[in-house]
Amino acid sequence: MLTAEQNDELTQVDAGTPMGEVLRRYWYPVAFTRELAEFPVKRVELLGEFFALWRSPSGRYGIVPEACPHRKASLAYGVVESDGLRCPYHGWVFDEAGACVEQPAERDDTRFGARVSAQAGVAEEMGGLVWAYVGPGPAPRLPRFDTYVMEGFRDIGWADLPCNYVQIMENAVDPHHVEWLHGRYFQFIGRHEGFTSPASFAKKHQKVGFTPFEWGIIKRRVLEGASEDNDDWKVGHPLVFPYNMRVGGGGVHQMQIRVPINRTTTRFMLYTVHRPDEGYEHVEQPVVPDYNIPVVDEKGRHVVNYVEGQDIMAWVTQGAITDRTTEHLGRSDIGVAMLRKMFREQMDRVARGEDPLGTIREEHERIDLPCEKDKFHAGAQFALDFCDMGSTRFSPMLDAIKKIHVSAAERVASGSASGSGS
Amino acid sequence: MQAPPDRRFAADAEAHRRDAPRHCPGCGAPPAIVTEFWEGTARRFYCSCSGCGWTGEITPTGDVAVGHEPEH
Repeated sequence: MLTAEQNDELTQVDAGTPMGEVLRRYWYPVAFTRELAEFPVKRVELLGEFFALWRSPSGRYGIVPEACPHRKASLAYGVVESDGLRCPYHGWVFDEAGACVEQPAERDDTRFGARVSAQAGVAEEMGGLVWAYVGPGPAPRLPRFDTYVMEGFRDIGWADLPCNYVQIMENAVDPHHVEWLHGRYFQFIGRHEGFTSPASFAKKHQKVGFTPFEWGIIKRRVLEGASEDNDDWKVGHPLVFPYNMRVGGGGVHQMQIRVPINRTTTRFMLYTVHRPDEGYEHVEQPVVPDYNIPVVDEKGRHVVNYVEGQDIMAWVTQGAITDRTTEHLGRSDIGVAMLRKMFREQMDRVARGEDPLGTIREEHERIDLPCEKDKFHAGAQFALDFCDMGSTRFSPMLDAIKKIHVSAAERVASGSASGSGS
Repeated sequence: MQAPPDRRFAADAEAHRRDAPRHCPGCGAPPAIVTEFWEGTARRFYCSCSGCGWTGEITPTGDVAVGHEPEH
């Protein structure tokens, strides 16, 4: 339970608010790489602001606020040219640094162009996504988290959800929900729809723990039949501050991304890499495929017969912004309290002019995040449950993905495994 | 924009506003954030302080001092 003022502060995303200023210190995925290959300019909403994102003919990316500084027409309808983005209305051109480099109807000998910089952000491509930083300079490095740069077979499921991102992030430090939402509730739905839900998801939690670390909070659990020697406790998996969660197991590596589009819309993305530890043979992908995951059915009811659909139901039905003034947390929600503290600490850091948690300024090749391999101590069964009972069920790559896991297992069984864990 | 207040629990919201600690036990500054949760019949306030970094739980006990750990 919080006061209304604290709830308001916690859930803000707009520029000039304490939390909005924290959020502007991070990079966000704002497009699929294939989108700008299909058409080189796109309108993007991020943190309650609109931008024009473009890809130059030479492959460089630029991002500027959508409204042209001249007469405010949309640059998202601009003409992509070799030296920048040209406004469709009167032809002004802005380069990737935001400088106005051409004003066709104005005399060349004025300094008018210098007055109308477009305050550009920075954009880069990584792992099939275009990432943008729209905060104050100098921009930190784009963090090269393991899932985005590792070898493996990729796909990206996504949906835009009508709720604030904080209630989604609070779910990432709520281990107990798994045995109920993805356990008992899944069994209930399965009985009515005629399928068997995964048994490992219903295992009872004996103990949960939370450890702050340099990228966020590591979540740990001991499930019935297991001990602190199992991966679920010994390794755990992290909430990656402020808007991600790294999960996986059984040769599946996933970053769950929750981009604050605006205060009450969150783009939920499931960036998944299939890469069995043993027996994997790499499959080339010229394009990383993306696909919509279902949120509601034709009657407007949430689709709850898959894992992430259940999560979405729980997040969205809390309301656009959860009323935390009348919630009733228990001891088992202590991870939620810790996350709120972490958010509040970063507001203070940014107010003092410091970088918040998880910003990186050093050049780096890859950031490996801790993540259990033996998820729910279910072994390889986890990967099959993941394919059949999670959002991957809706992937256009489902057959190829299953084949990757089955073929790897067969190679291991026949003793011809060539891949090794990374 | 926010979900409408749940009137069933207006008294709890008011109690939170009334009882949430206003001063850090370490330095006396206002806590940065106070999250209230329940454990059995006990109300606990998870507090952190921007001033001195103190983090901990504050539990109102009333007049009764309990000499054993309740079952949990």
